[in-house]
Amino acid sequence: MRHMAKSRIVSHDIPVGITVNGMSEVIGQTKGLCPKCLKTIPVTKVAEGDKVYLIKECPEHGTWKVLAWNGKEDYQDMYRYAAVQSKPERIAVKESGDCPQICGLCPDHVQHTCLVVMEITNGCNLKCPVCFASANQFYKFNPSLDVIRGMYQTMLDHVNHPIVVQISGGEPTIRDDLPDIIRMGKEMGIDYIEINTNGIRFAEDIEFLRRCKEAGADDLYFSFDGLQGEIYKQTCGRDILEQKLKCIENCEKVGMGITLVCVVSPNINLDRVGEVINFAKSKVPTIKGVHFQPIAYFGRVPISPKDEDRVTIPDLLRAIEEQTNGELRVDNFIPTSCSNVHCDAKSMSVVMEDGSLFPLTSRAFGPPKDTSSVATKTRKEISDLWRFIEDSLIVEEDDGKQNEWGDFVDRAKTHYLTVSMMAFQDAWTSETERFRNCCIHTVTPDGKLIPFCLFNINSMEGKTLYRHEMWAKYSENR
Amino acid sequence: MVTVTIPAEVKELIAKRGIKEADVTDVVNTACQTGKYIKKGNDGLAKKVIGGLTVYVMSDLSGKGTAVVKSAYAHKMTLGKVVNVMAETDWKTKDGKAVSQGHVEMEYMTVKRNGPALIDAATGDAWVEEYLAVKTLAAAEGLFEKKRA
Repeated sequence: MRHMAKSRIVSHDIPVGITVNGMSEVIGQTKGLCPKCLKTIPVTKVAEGDKVYLIKECPEHGTWKVLAWNGKEDYQDMYRYAAVQSKPERIAVKESGDCPQICGLCPDHVQHTCLVVMEITNGCNLKCPVCFASANQFYKFNPSLDVIRGMYQTMLDHVNHPIVVQISGGEPTIRDDLPDIIRMGKEMGIDYIEINTNGIRFAEDIEFLRRCKEAGADDLYFSFDGLQGEIYKQTCGRDILEQKLKCIENCEKVGMGITLVCVVSPNINLDRVGEVINFAKSKVPTIKGVHFQPIAYFGRVPISPKDEDRVTIPDLLRAIEEQTNGELRVDNFIPTSCSNVHCDAKSMSVVMEDGSLFPLTSRAFGPPKDTSSVATKTRKEISDLWRFIEDSLIVEEDDGKQNEWGDFVDRAKTHYLTVSMMAFQDAWTSETERFRNCCIHTVTPDGKLIPFCLFNINSMEGKTLYRHEMWAKYSENR
Repeated sequence: MVTVTIPAEVKELIAKRGIKEADVTDVVNTACQTGKYIKKGNDGLAKKVIGGLTVYVMSDLSGKGTAVVKSAYAHKMTLGKVVNVMAETDWKTKDGKAVSQGHVEMEYMTVKRNGPALIDAATGDAWVEEYLAVKTLAAAEGLFEKKRA
């Protein structure tokens, strides 16, 4: 909710813990971006009842009050999962103190890169209103293989192994040379490559999917907003459920793993998240995870989103617990301790023979023992959960074929389902402390790594700090 | 009573597995007193339930009155009834009776599943081999402990 401030709601001189006006309790201070001009401005975190708000004050554009979290105690409890801060091995920008206006990364960044997003096109075969990439329609960004090679090299120079890359866009499958791009990455030494895709081409062209798999693609990061055609009419502009299901079927045939990626909107599919999880269970081991993304407001958004337009992580967790009848509970979800603790939550379960979920994660365990090296883990590794499991577990000596405990452990290695979520920041919810903690970075052709949200954030009028600037520099004008 | 010797490298191994040297000695001494252990050549395999853990000790019994520990391992699972008995192995009881390969019920946190074991068919007593205890059962126990907590 935006106010034209005649008087300040809260002063940044008020210490944490003090109640203001009998209603708001100050629980933290940070900085963030003004949704109008994207300048760095002070942000006060306040709790009103059980809701946590960011109060942003721009000297030019007034005060903004933004819902950040639903659950004050929970919000503060998450801090115990905070990762040990670790500087990136190499940075591209030497200046500091101006986060996030000059990024690349800079000396103020306090987390290694665990996932690199590499965009290879801004073209797409859909025009989804919820897509952040649709903000810029003025440039044609299709980097050459040489430019892509340069971006891979940036990763090799700046990121420790294992290097995990998400090839993204636009829609990367509109490039016929996608298998060549994947192969190049693997030959250069990239450890893991996933393709961020809407799956339309893979549904229509199984041979193209097979070629991507054979070139070395490890996984699809596959947009999947629900099991009703009506949902896609709202999120994508047309009913593409049939293509979505066909893509999954083709992945089963070629042996390609999938993570379903579901953008969750309060009025579209928040009441259907349980269905997505149940569907995913039925398709294990092809489907390895479900990743929910509470809607973030990118593109031209002239009116500030209201509280009821938002889905916070706790809202989504409660919906999951309710819609799975407690099979997955709120307390089965923990921050990954890789990015900022308020950015994400993750659970991991074994899918048992009867189709039920056997959760392996719980807040009762507390934070991981070692958060200093969390950024080096790949998506296949879950900190200390798999320390006992080795590849040599198959009990070949057992002729009786009745090692049911061995079967259980073997099942746990393949029939697992991760259910996770990440709340991307938009201009309203942006916080510099979250940018600095970020471990998911977009690589640019000029050799930089920029936190993903920051790279994509735009103002209410559609102005960006990085995205358009990069495209303008390396694209053809339309 | 026998003289139990634990070489330095074995001490390191059992420490890594969280097993106390005193318990290792206890297992061997108890086995010698009760005669409840199995043998294969010069190797002896003894076990004892100590504080919720079933501790196993593999020793070299070639020296008179001595046991040189070769390895020790443990599991938390409770061994239950024998499910089946299959072929005889090279292991023998102290009385020279054959010990067979088979399967027993193994229970942990109310969950029962079968697993392979060395079985004295006459008594129904079972011994879990080291590979199973340190890998499969340890993994399963670890997974279940996460669920309970």
